[in-house]
Amino acid sequence: MKRRFPAGPDTDVDSLLADLGREPEGGRLKVGDERVVDFLRVLARKLLAPAMARRYPELASLGFFLRRGEIAKVLRAVETPPGVLRFPRGLVFHVPPANVDTIFVYSWALSALAGNRNVVRISPRSAGAAEAVVEALNAALAEAHPVVAQTQVMVTYDRDDKITAALSAACDLRVIWGGDRAVTEVRTMPLAPHARDVTFPDRASFAAISVAGWEKATPEQRRDVAVGFYNDSYWFDQAACSSPRALFWVGDAAGAQAGREEFRGLLADVIAAKELVVEPAMAVQKRVSAYGVAADGHATSIRFDGNAVATLELTAPQDVPREWLGVGTFPLATLSSLSELVDMVQRKDQTLSAFGFSRDELEQLAHDLAGRGIDRIVPFGSALAFSEHWDGYDLLAEFSRLVTVQV
Amino acid sequence: MSESVFGRSQVEREAALLTELTELTEHHRANSVQYDRILSSLGIEQGQRFDSLAELPWLPVRMFKTHELKSIPDDEVFKVLTSSGTTGDPSRIYLDKDAAAVQPRMLGATLREVLGGKRLPMLMVDTISIIKNRRSFSARGAGVLGMANFGRAHVYALDENDQPDVEAVKGFLEKHGNEPFLIFGFTFMVWQYLYEVAKEHKLDLSNGILIHSGGWKKLIDIAVDNGEFRRRFAQDTGLTRIHNYYGMIEQIGTVFLEGESGNSLYCPEFADVIIRNPDTWEEQPVGEPGVIEVISTLPRSYPGHVLLTEDLGVVHGIDDGDWPGKRFSVLGRLPRAEARGCSDTFSGAVAS
Repeated sequence: MKRRFPAGPDTDVDSLLADLGREPEGGRLKVGDERVVDFLRVLARKLLAPAMARRYPELASLGFFLRRGEIAKVLRAVETPPGVLRFPRGLVFHVPPANVDTIFVYSWALSALAGNRNVVRISPRSAGAAEAVVEALNAALAEAHPVVAQTQVMVTYDRDDKITAALSAACDLRVIWGGDRAVTEVRTMPLAPHARDVTFPDRASFAAISVAGWEKATPEQRRDVAVGFYNDSYWFDQAACSSPRALFWVGDAAGAQAGREEFRGLLADVIAAKELVVEPAMAVQKRVSAYGVAADGHATSIRFDGNAVATLELTAPQDVPREWLGVGTFPLATLSSLSELVDMVQRKDQTLSAFGFSRDELEQLAHDLAGRGIDRIVPFGSALAFSEHWDGYDLLAEFSRLVTVQV
Repeated sequence: MSESVFGRSQVEREAALLTELTELTEHHRANSVQYDRILSSLGIEQGQRFDSLAELPWLPVRMFKTHELKSIPDDEVFKVLTSSGTTGDPSRIYLDKDAAAVQPRMLGATLREVLGGKRLPMLMVDTISIIKNRRSFSARGAGVLGMANFGRAHVYALDENDQPDVEAVKGFLEKHGNEPFLIFGFTFMVWQYLYEVAKEHKLDLSNGILIHSGGWKKLIDIAVDNGEFRRRFAQDTGLTRIHNYYGMIEQIGTVFLEGESGNSLYCPEFADVIIRNPDTWEEQPVGEPGVIEVISTLPRSYPGHVLLTEDLGVVHGIDDGDWPGKRFSVLGRLPRAEARGCSDTFSGAVAS
C-alpha cells in the first residue's frame, strides 16, 4: 500500500491503523479544529496559485471552497443550540471515484473539518489534477501542526479486498463514491455494528430553460447561459453525475423552437472559442449512443453539428435517457410547464440546472417533487460546483455526531 | 460460379453496388424497425436515392454489440454468431438459412482467386482443441472452423497443449510438401509457431499458400510489419505466396484479401471500402488516412451492409494494383473513448 499523504514509505493496513489509533499531539481534533482550518487555508492558497489554477481550473474551484471565509460559513451552519454538542464520528474511510479527479478532496476536507481521522483510498488510475492535489497537500504539510500528518492519511492500493475489508471493519463511517457498482461491491465488506455508510450511487442530471425567461434575457445573459452550459457539460466529458444529460425548454412551443436555434448557435460559438476538439473515438461513441436511442424508439431526429454537438429530439420527455451518451450529446424536449417535469423525475435524478425561472417557481417545483428526486437546483454554470449539501446529505452533519447534555 | 470476384473496375463496381445497396437499404428498413428508426431520425426518407456509395448511411459497427439488429423474423433465425473483443458485450449477428449458405460460398469465391478450384492439403497453425473441445468458442475457433472447409487432409501445427508439434508439421510436408498446399492461421501465431519453427528446422514451405489474419499489434511490438513478415518467410522458408486478409464477423463472408505483391488489400466485387475523415466524416482522397467503412452486399438478414469500423486505414490507389478496384491498408485501431465521471470507483479497479 502506497502512502500518498503524508508521502512516505509503503505501509500495510495494520500499521496504518495502529498509527491512526495513537493519541494525537496537542490533543484530539474537534469539530472545526483550528489546526485543520489552518492546514486547509494553506492548501487553498497553493491550489489558487496562478500556475496551478491555469493548469487545472477545477482545482481553483476547490481552492475557493477551502478558503477561510467559506469554511467559517460551513461551520456556522452546523452550530448547535445550548445543551447539544457536536463531535467527530471518529475514523472515516473514503472510497472516492477514480475519474473525477478532485471530489475526494471535498469529501475528505469536510470530514477533516468535522475533526475525524481519515483514510482516503486514491485510485491507482488517478492522474492529472489528483496528482497535483496530492503534491499540494504534501507541500502544505510543511507549515501544518503535526496532528494533521498524524490523523489524515491518503493511500493507493490495487484492488485488494483484504485492505478494503480491514479499513471497513475499523472505521466509524464509510464514504463510498463511484456509482451503483462501487457501492454494491464495497458494501459486501462488513462495517462495525455502530458504523454506517454514506453512499453516492449513480445519478442523472438535467438542465431546463424557461422560454419566457430566455425571451426576457439580454444577449449577454444568453451568452452566459451558453458558457455555463458548456462548462457544466463538457468539463468532465459530460460524465459527472451533475452534468446535464438532457436539456428541457419549458414554455410555449414556438418560443422554445426559436430559443433552441439561438442557443445552438451560441453554444457553437463557445465551443469554437474554447477550441474544443472531440476525438474521433468519442465521436463514434456519440453516434453509437445516439443511434441507439433512436433505434429504441426514443428519438425522432438526431442532428450533428460537427463532432462537438449532437442533439436528439425525444419522442416523449419521459423517455429521457439517463445513461451517458458521450460528450456533447443532448436529448432535447419541450415541456409546457415545470409540473410536467414532476411526473418524470426519479430518485436517481440529482441536479437540475435552471435558467430563467423565478425563485418561487423553483421552490414550487421542489415542493411538488417533495424530495422524491432532484437534490439540487442550481443556475447554469454551477452544476459541478461542490457544496457541503450533496445528494441530499448535509455532509458536515453526516461526518459528526451529537451529544446532548441536560442538567 | 467459376468467374472471378476480382474482375470489375472501380467504376463498374460502384455502379452495380449502388443499385444493390440502395435496394438492400430499403430491404432492411422494411424488415428492421430499429434500422428504419435510425435512418428516419437522420432525416433519410424511405425510397431515397443515393448518388454514390459514400452517400449511403452507415452504422457504427459497435451497434451490433449494443442492439439486436436483424432483418428477419425470430422464427427464421438459423444461426446467431457472436464475437467479442477483449472488452464489453459481444456482437450478435443473426443469420437465416440463406445468409448462412451465402457467406461461405462468397468467402470461397474470394479465396479461389489465390487457392484455385481444388481443395488443397491444409496445415492449420493452431491447435485442434480450438475447435474440438470448444473450450472457448472464440473468434479464433470460428475462424479456424470456417476456413477448414477450404482444405483437406488437415494437420494441426500445435498439439493440444498449444506446443509446436514439429513432427506433425514435418509429416505433413513429407506427404504434401511437393504439391501446392494451404496454410492458415492467425498472424501472430503463424509467426510464432510456424515461421520460428520452420526456420529452426529448415522446413521448406515453398509450395505453400499462406492465408492469415488477425492484426499486427503483437508483431509490431517485436518490430515485424507486413513487409518484414513477407521478406523473412521468403528468405528463411521459401514461402512467397502470402495473403493477409481483413474481415469482421459483422460482415461475415466478406474478406478483403492481400494481393500477390503484398502490402495492399483488395475488395471482392460485392464489397468496397471508403476511408472517412474523422472530423468531417467525408470520404478521404487516395493517400489520406481515416476511419474505414466497409460495404458489402452479403448482409441481408441483418443491416450490416454499410458499416463504420473502429479501424484506421488508407487507400493507396484505385485500379492500379494486382486486381482492379481500391487497394488499401489497415493502419491500426481507434483508441477507445473513455469517459471521466463519477461512476466507477471500483469497477475501474476491477479492470486495472
